[in-house]
Amino acid sequence: MRSYAKYLAQRLAQCLLVVFIGINLTYAITHATPIDPVEQSIAAVTAFGNTSPEAIGMMRQSLRELYGLTGGPLEQYVNFWRRIAIADFGPSLSAFPTPVSTLIARALPWTIGLLVTATLITWTLGNLLGGLAGYYQDKRSLKIFAVIAIGLHPVPYYIVAFVLLVMFGYLWPLLPIAGGYGMNIEQGFNATFALSVLKHSILPALSLMLIGLGGWFLGMRSLVSNVVSEDYVVYAELAGVDGRRILGSYVMRNALVPQVTGLAMSLGAVFNGAIITEQVFGYPGIGSLLVSAVYAGDYGLVLGVTTISIIGVSAAVLIIDLVYPLLDPRVRVA
Amino acid sequence: MKLRVSWLLAALFAVLALAASSREPLAQGALANLPRNETLILENPEGTIKNAGWFNIWAINAGSQSNGLQQAALDTLWYIDPNRGLDGVWQNSLASEKPVYNADFTQMTVKLRRGIHWSDGVEFTAADVVHTVATQIKHKNMRWSAALTLTVDAMETPDPYTVVFKLKKPNSRFHALFTVRWAAIWIMPKHVFEKVEDPLKFDFNKPVSLGAYVLHNYDPDGRWYIWRLREDWQRTTIARYGKPGPKYLAYIDPGPPDKRVIAQMNHELDVIHDVAPEGMFTLAKQSKSSVSWFKGFPYAHPDPTLPALIFNTQNELFKSRDVRWALALLIDIKAVSMASYRGAATISAIGIPPTGTHPEFYHAPLQDWLTAFEVDTGKRKIKPYDATVGRQIADMLRPSMGEQIPTDPKTIAASFGMGWWKSDPQAATELLEKAGFKKVGNAWQTADGKPFTVRVVVEGESRPVMTRAGSMIAEQWRRFGIDAKVDLAQGTLVTRRAAGDFDTMISWSVETWGGHQDLSYFLDSWHSQFVAQPGTPQPPRNWQRWSHPELDKIVEDIRKVGFDDPKSLELGREYVKLVAREMPIIPLMSYNVFTVMDTTYWTGYPTADDPYTDPVPNWGNSRAMFVRLKPKT
Repeated sequence: MRSYAKYLAQRLAQCLLVVFIGINLTYAITHATPIDPVEQSIAAVTAFGNTSPEAIGMMRQSLRELYGLTGGPLEQYVNFWRRIAIADFGPSLSAFPTPVSTLIARALPWTIGLLVTATLITWTLGNLLGGLAGYYQDKRSLKIFAVIAIGLHPVPYYIVAFVLLVMFGYLWPLLPIAGGYGMNIEQGFNATFALSVLKHSILPALSLMLIGLGGWFLGMRSLVSNVVSEDYVVYAELAGVDGRRILGSYVMRNALVPQVTGLAMSLGAVFNGAIITEQVFGYPGIGSLLVSAVYAGDYGLVLGVTTISIIGVSAAVLIIDLVYPLLDPRVRVA
Repeated sequence: MKLRVSWLLAALFAVLALAASSREPLAQGALANLPRNETLILENPEGTIKNAGWFNIWAINAGSQSNGLQQAALDTLWYIDPNRGLDGVWQNSLASEKPVYNADFTQMTVKLRRGIHWSDGVEFTAADVVHTVATQIKHKNMRWSAALTLTVDAMETPDPYTVVFKLKKPNSRFHALFTVRWAAIWIMPKHVFEKVEDPLKFDFNKPVSLGAYVLHNYDPDGRWYIWRLREDWQRTTIARYGKPGPKYLAYIDPGPPDKRVIAQMNHELDVIHDVAPEGMFTLAKQSKSSVSWFKGFPYAHPDPTLPALIFNTQNELFKSRDVRWALALLIDIKAVSMASYRGAATISAIGIPPTGTHPEFYHAPLQDWLTAFEVDTGKRKIKPYDATVGRQIADMLRPSMGEQIPTDPKTIAASFGMGWWKSDPQAATELLEKAGFKKVGNAWQTADGKPFTVRVVVEGESRPVMTRAGSMIAEQWRRFGIDAKVDLAQGTLVTRRAAGDFDTMISWSVETWGGHQDLSYFLDSWHSQFVAQPGTPQPPRNWQRWSHPELDKIVEDIRKVGFDDPKSLELGREYVKLVAREMPIIPLMSYNVFTVMDTTYWTGYPTADDPYTDPVPNWGNSRAMFVRLKPKT
């Protein structure tokens, strides 16, 4: 128990160090961006309006003060960590004065809802079918499925997404191709909204599943293929243990451990958002928010999204590290 | 079991086949609880709005502007239509007449229209105008704070329908701040904002409208906004043109260009703001209900904006007029038109966009001057203008596009432009040699013996048409022996443009009213008093950082004459001649916007045959479209 506590402390310290370094790197990179948020704002104001050059000069200075860009680099860095400590990322520069945390809180549920659901379904299906394909290696239907999964796996994601768009948005316009839910529907806990969300999530989720399924399938199939030749499996078969029980309790359960690690990593990466998915399907979420923030030079928002992502991935890795010795007795912490 | 699966699959394919054969968009129903035949669905090119619940347009870039807010809900003193207008280009909107200046342009008096009401029933008066100005002067970080602080000294309201602005210095174009081209200073409701402590932090949600529509509903995630026609629409300024057709306006983010095309084919998007030329061609071919500005090629609406090859004239290489002219004479505009707009460009050789009333005021009257215009190459004098280039582009396209290409010379000139500079490598050689450059082997060197290297900055995938134009120009220069490279700026273009971090750039520094001959909208900012020192940010719009004593004289003379004074037209033509001689930018074409309108539910859209306004739906002027649209019976 003592050794586990020591292990826990070490892993926790490592996690905090990773988060600290990650956030600092992001801070350095975002502040090195050649995009000036003040110039972006000025361009947006003046692109369509009659504003004199004198007024622009005055506006430029005002915006620097308003956006808090007038202090020295050290002062800005210290202020940044002071705000991070209380989970305040400051105002968004491209949606001033709305706080970054408000924008992230609005976008995050969409991303989590879509990606967690798609990841869990893909993981479950992929592992189940992969396990079956590894165990029943002569089954024709599973062989056909393997060909499809292997065939789809290397196809670039955007191609699959675009094909789905054209198929179900144009050739057979059965499903909506943009947005998280239909127009003129009130967000809230009601059946109309829930059904609309479900309908709008089918295409983006399907695109993620079609591409993701192959990876889990192939991984599980090869893991199971190795496990079935283990002595304890052969012994169980010779002892006349039921085939389904061998598959479930002897083979898949043991093969599943590395897949659980992969699942945790995937769930942690949910906080990165699915940028291409959200862009292609016009789905609201953290990925689209990040892209628009980068283009606007809104480094407060970029930092906010990235920090959430760093913490998400680090937390997932930490949880795996902590749970792994409990899941797999072969792993010892001493 | 196998049999059951087969039946299920057969049923599924039957449903899909039925859906495909009927071409009925089963995905419709995107508009819940709204009658489709009473709803006009338009694209908001700002995309998905991060801060969807923000309607305080007087705060800088806090929320959306073209989500219907400025087109349907707000109003201001005057509008200038970029095309012909409902009853002329000039519209007195909240003002009942044109601005009245005193003799030295230090005072402007505005008479306001009576009987106009905010959507909450409060009457619009001079107090609203004064509060709009005073609030932005008091709070220095608002959208028009700087412009108003620098110009307005005091305001008086002799009666509730008159405002007198006393200006800090003479300004014959002060009214332009309150005159919509794309936008202007919108009037804020005093009775709402006077109760707000900090107007910078006030979201103005739900907005009180002065326009004919009120906010009906919006997506907190920023993808759609729905506006509803006011019960008392007759108490708004647009009512003098009749009742707006659509009861509801839905401004949406339909996604990337391919999805906009799909949405319109499914009749789920009535007005596309812009698509790539290829998307336009697809709609023209496959969607019988889609219409565009021009009936056939080039389809697009030419905006009063002039994409050009902009030189950084503070760069030693481009200080010489001869070098700038040499580079212009190396451009084959027909190839640039094909590469950029696939031929659907409206070219302009002069520093004015060929759109709205400009061809009538500038392009056509200057044809003789342009034809006689000479450039001295150092060895001879050439006449570089070819008045037939527009016609040549039309002839070039006719074999592949057939009847879509007009044959009438006037229509060809309106669609493809008039003339442009002849591609003349020999004259370019002579001009470069005149500037001290020399060709060694196949490569050109500058006067001090260094390779002649030119970076052409382009925006990248966010503006593919202009990027293709820049790539083609760089290619043409490369073929001549210049080390020309395309420099993709992506999101950094705005910052680099202001910083002067470019040799040449595809962008625009000329934007005009379109419907009015006055050029001060952009030209005033070209005065040398505003040219920044190298290394410091340049204020809009003189991105070329070019100065010239003759230009200063023209700008100063324009400042001294009234907006409608015929002298301003004469001075505008002097500007055109100066730019042709000096070539600080190489004008290319108008900014053609492929706005596509679906006639399944609505008719009466503005087109080149009935150019009563600009169909591009993010323009404030597009409100004129609402009163002319009729439901399709």
